[in-house]
Amino acid sequence: MRGPTVLKAEDDKTRQLNKHTLMAFSGESGDTVQFAEYIQANAALYSMRNDTELSPSAVANFVRGELARSLRSRSPYTVNLLLGGIDPVTEKPHLYWVDYLASLAPLPYAAHGYAQYYCLSILDKHHHPDCSLEEGLALLTLCTDELKRRLPIDYKGMLVKVVTKDGVQEIAVDNDKVVRSA
Amino acid sequence: MAQKVVEAYETGSGAGKNAPFVPIVHESLDLQADRLLPSQSNPFDINGGACVAMVGKDCVAIACDLRLGMQSLTISNNFPKIFNYAPSTYLGLTGLATDVNTVSDLFRYKVNMYRLREERDIAPQTLANLVSSSLYEKRFGPYFVSPVLAGINPTTGKPFICGFDSIGCIDFAKDFIVSGTASDQLFGTCEGLWEPDLAPEDLFETISQALLSAVDRDALSGWGAQVYIIEKDKVTQRLLKGRQD
Amino acid sequence: MDKLVAQYSRPPHQNEMYSEQEQQDLTASVPPLSLKFSLPPVDNHSAFLRAMTDDHSNPSCPIKLAHGTTTLAFRFQGGIIVCTDSRATAGNWIASQTVKKVIPVSRLSRGEDKKSNEPTPGLLGTMAGGAADCQYWLRYLSQQCTLHEIRHKRRITVAAASKILANLTYAYKGYGLSMGTMLAGMTPQEGPALYYIDSDGTRLPGNLFCVGSGQTFAYGVLDAEYKYELTEEEALNLGRRAILAAMHRDAYSGGFINLYHVKEEGWVHHGFDDMNPIFWDTKLQKGEFSNVTSAL
Repeated sequence: MRGPTVLKAEDDKTRQLNKHTLMAFSGESGDTVQFAEYIQANAALYSMRNDTELSPSAVANFVRGELARSLRSRSPYTVNLLLGGIDPVTEKPHLYWVDYLASLAPLPYAAHGYAQYYCLSILDKHHHPDCSLEEGLALLTLCTDELKRRLPIDYKGMLVKVVTKDGVQEIAVDNDKVVRSA
Repeated sequence: MAQKVVEAYETGSGAGKNAPFVPIVHESLDLQADRLLPSQSNPFDINGGACVAMVGKDCVAIACDLRLGMQSLTISNNFPKIFNYAPSTYLGLTGLATDVNTVSDLFRYKVNMYRLREERDIAPQTLANLVSSSLYEKRFGPYFVSPVLAGINPTTGKPFICGFDSIGCIDFAKDFIVSGTASDQLFGTCEGLWEPDLAPEDLFETISQALLSAVDRDALSGWGAQVYIIEKDKVTQRLLKGRQD
Repeated sequence: MDKLVAQYSRPPHQNEMYSEQEQQDLTASVPPLSLKFSLPPVDNHSAFLRAMTDDHSNPSCPIKLAHGTTTLAFRFQGGIIVCTDSRATAGNWIASQTVKKVIPVSRLSRGEDKKSNEPTPGLLGTMAGGAADCQYWLRYLSQQCTLHEIRHKRRITVAAASKILANLTYAYKGYGLSMGTMLAGMTPQEGPALYYIDSDGTRLPGNLFCVGSGQTFAYGVLDAEYKYELTEEEALNLGRRAILAAMHRDAYSGGFINLYHVKEEGWVHHGFDDMNPIFWDTKLQKGEFSNVTSAL
């Protein structure tokens, strides 16, 4: 967005940090991509130097540390992040919520911005820790339908990516569905 | 203009009975500070949280709530604010969540370095001075946290608790220390429930009731709690199922 | 087949609606706003009031009004569900956990002295925003509705009652009133009727409303499963669950779940229940709220 104009409708607001970790971001335009690519480069550097991958919790704590350092600098990054990943050793999934103040919280499900206010209650009701990919995607549709119904903006569709032990893959979603209000 | 009404009206009889409503206005910097952080209030009140420590007979207890919020929104119900730095030394941190993370990580680093250099665990009194001087290092751009420390001195075996303000002033206490958004309520419940020389089980009951009653009257803390009962050679950790609203 | 016919045909009392003129007469019989409120001796009293009471823009304001709420109401085939939380906050201080935010309107049918669990005829109003504003003006509305019953020997319609309230809030627009209320009732003329009225002077009829600081959480749960064809039990459970969701996520909502069902014959109270046991039942038996830890 620039003023009242939508500059691009299909912008990828995620960056892959290593084979098993994906970071989604929102916030101040400019800051978001700069910060995400800075993190991406450092995660890649670590992987190359040590010939091993950082675990999701290690990445999350690194990201938090960098954001916290920037918070007390002259021009802090205003970026909200969601970090999802599979631990390559234990093969357990992890999700971390990081806001622009660099607060870090591990959560079973998370969101940022106004989506939190509409979706967290839906996820509270319908989420189960051992749900399948299909159930998970159905739950995501429940959330995006609610956003289409109640948010006063048209957010031009969603981009869905899934992290599994085999890596990150994009999933095709129907963005043209019309949702009607009660 | 930055103004703050300090006293709204008198309630005494006679003199001010029919006087018109005249606010007494003082100059204050409060509102200007608010303007620097638009729409966000006091950094100590953004995320919410409460912590309390108490002394018993040859034991101490420390407890915290589990909420992490952003103003009215509850983000996480599993955000413990007590961190372990030696077998019988615990530090509770309330305030801005990012600084709870930063400060707890910082002390983990400093205490690990201390242990490697000294080849022994840090004593609560030593940690208290380390916390104090580390916080004062940021005198002109403080961490927005109010730490609470509880432990048993490994050499003397004596219980020790203390609290700090955000720039490192140590508050030694013989009874209890409170901090966080529910601290006003905690002062009340602790004054009412605490008594000297409580045994570990009684201390657990006292600190739990004090914390739960206090957070039930605070919108920004609660959603469950964690309690540590620290004795000379034994630490018991318990989870309290608090109200989830 | 009958179901389809019922769905697409007009309500049975369609033709008994008040005419435009009758509606006018009804609302015109309300006395003009001669209620005298004293105002502070300053030039711009609404700005003064805001500076003194708005703790959102100024957390150190000297007078903190009680607010923070989640209330919801929705229409379904069996009537209207009205459900609220019971918390009142002043800043971060929880001032009360036992506020009754559903107010029966019309003195003749409040059912205060009633012992059995039979439906009580009349309207229900909900309370969100300034607690004092809501209580006072719903009491005033009660008075007007009661007078209407005495004058016209029949109960006021929800449309007319909501218009009285909306005209009132509009008359005081800009004076700093703070209220978001829903009026629910079932009259022979209208069938189940639900109106949203707020202190800006907005008045909207609708199927489903949530009001208050926790509204979005309630909308989330409600929208996902709402349909007009809900059975009575499903509707009661959905209303209860939506309020529970809001109480859990919104710091300024909580306490007790206050649940009402408005039917053809009147409203029925379905309990004022502490949320905490209901929450743990929902979590441990249905496996919901997986974000909450129940073991170390």
